[in-house]
Amino acid sequence: MKPTRRIKLISQLLDLPLIDSDGNYCGIVDDIELEGSPGKKTRLKALLVGPGTYSGRMPGWAMPLIRLIAGDRVTRIPVTRIESIKSFVQLDSKAEALGLNKAEDRVRAWIPEAGAL
Amino acid sequence: MNPLELTLGIMTAVGGFVDISELVFAAKAGSKFGYALIWVFAIATVGIMVFGEMSGRVAAVAKQPVFNLMRHRLGLKLGMLTLLASLIANLITCAAEVGGVAMILNYLTGAPFRLMAIAGALVLMASMWVLPFKWIERTYGLLGLFMIVFAVALVAIHPPWDQIAGGFVPQIPKGLSTKELLIFAYFAVAIVSAVMFPYEAYFYSSGGIEEEWGPKDLPMNKITCTVGFGLGSLLSIAILASSAQLFTPANVDPQLLGSSALEVAIPLGTTGLVIALLGMLFAISGAAVETCMANAYSISQFFGWEWGRHRKPREAPRFTVAWVTFFALALLIILTGIDPMQLVEYAVLFSILVLPLTYLPLLLLAGDKSYMGEYANGPVGKTLGWLYFALISLAAIGALPLYFLTSGGQG
Repeated sequence: MKPTRRIKLISQLLDLPLIDSDGNYCGIVDDIELEGSPGKKTRLKALLVGPGTYSGRMPGWAMPLIRLIAGDRVTRIPVTRIESIKSFVQLDSKAEALGLNKAEDRVRAWIPEAGAL
Repeated sequence: MNPLELTLGIMTAVGGFVDISELVFAAKAGSKFGYALIWVFAIATVGIMVFGEMSGRVAAVAKQPVFNLMRHRLGLKLGMLTLLASLIANLITCAAEVGGVAMILNYLTGAPFRLMAIAGALVLMASMWVLPFKWIERTYGLLGLFMIVFAVALVAIHPPWDQIAGGFVPQIPKGLSTKELLIFAYFAVAIVSAVMFPYEAYFYSSGGIEEEWGPKDLPMNKITCTVGFGLGSLLSIAILASSAQLFTPANVDPQLLGSSALEVAIPLGTTGLVIALLGMLFAISGAAVETCMANAYSISQFFGWEWGRHRKPREAPRFTVAWVTFFALALLIILTGIDPMQLVEYAVLFSILVLPLTYLPLLLLAGDKSYMGEYANGPVGKTLGWLYFALISLAAIGALPLYFLTSGGQG
């Protein structure tokens, strides 16, 4: 995506699912990173993915439960990796190339392959 | 529209419509109030048709299941609250369904209840492991068609059809005391909850994504929801009507799940009884699988994990762990020794409390043109949607007071 395109950050981007170039779900836009300074234009720099970003958005008591269920990692996705924004954010790379598959892979190692049609 | 797919879709919806709470509350409602609560079943069925159609449409058009978009629409905090509420409601419901499966296996084999709970849960989990989504949905839905024996049994006892037809007209029986009126209201709320359980819309919507629906599938979605759910609901009404005809004059209060099966045994004998028990077993098993999967869908979609049973378990690892965990938790709840019939009461009560919270995002999404474009809710969809939202909100407000005032419908 061109970094100059105008978007409404909250209503158009925050909390949208991410889909990688293979069509797999690989996270949610949990937070965003901006660049700019007072008096200058503010630009979207990166998407932040992972429950580690929730601390500013959720009450403190909920965090231990969230950490237990979903962990507390944060992965940074540069804005240039965004291909399009619709009802989901389409990325132009595979999840593994962006570091978005680590938790899935860790759990995958415990799941047997046998038996499923 | 492929006629074979459409027929299978309708049959699956019919066979998968009835679950343990509908079985229990239909039989109890018939024995306590005759045909006077049929209209509540009818109104609630139109409600699940409306929200079911919306959830299928959102899946087909936005290509995203409800929980994915719900978090985007409601924000993280309210989204998390909705997630927690629906997870708890679905877990209690799943535990009640597992308990129901164990009870029926106990009736059929005479083996101990707890052993049957473990065996039943293991078989269901194995089926979820082995079968891909379409087969899971079709297997339980089509086997649930054994439930049609309840309609056959109703015809066989020659009920007063004019009185049954009269039950479709909204009414409150005359001459009820205040206490009986409160029980009537409690049953009405419980039936709305049982028919419109929150897991149904989430499972249906995620199923649409699993089967890769697109706008071309919208007519099939509409027909499946209206015809399939409508015919499915008629089975619940048949259970209610048989109960009214057979149990009310005899002063029988069908407290147990097996009482419903007796409605078939009386006119059709042992063969009918076995068919009824098998129908109940498959229908309740299907509901157990659906509630468990609905929870795994919700949590996976909320956190953006890989999900779906069109993929092999290893291809959506955290989704797999989620459904295995929820099923194990449901089994553990049953193994504590809690009465499954009590769990049905809790499931119905908790579900109605969270129903407005779970259906509001769906209503907002289906009416949002930025997601839905030309397929957003029209005037009819909007009116019906908000009307039903007001109805379930009213039922949610009244549920707790009615539960305590009537001791859970016991009076």
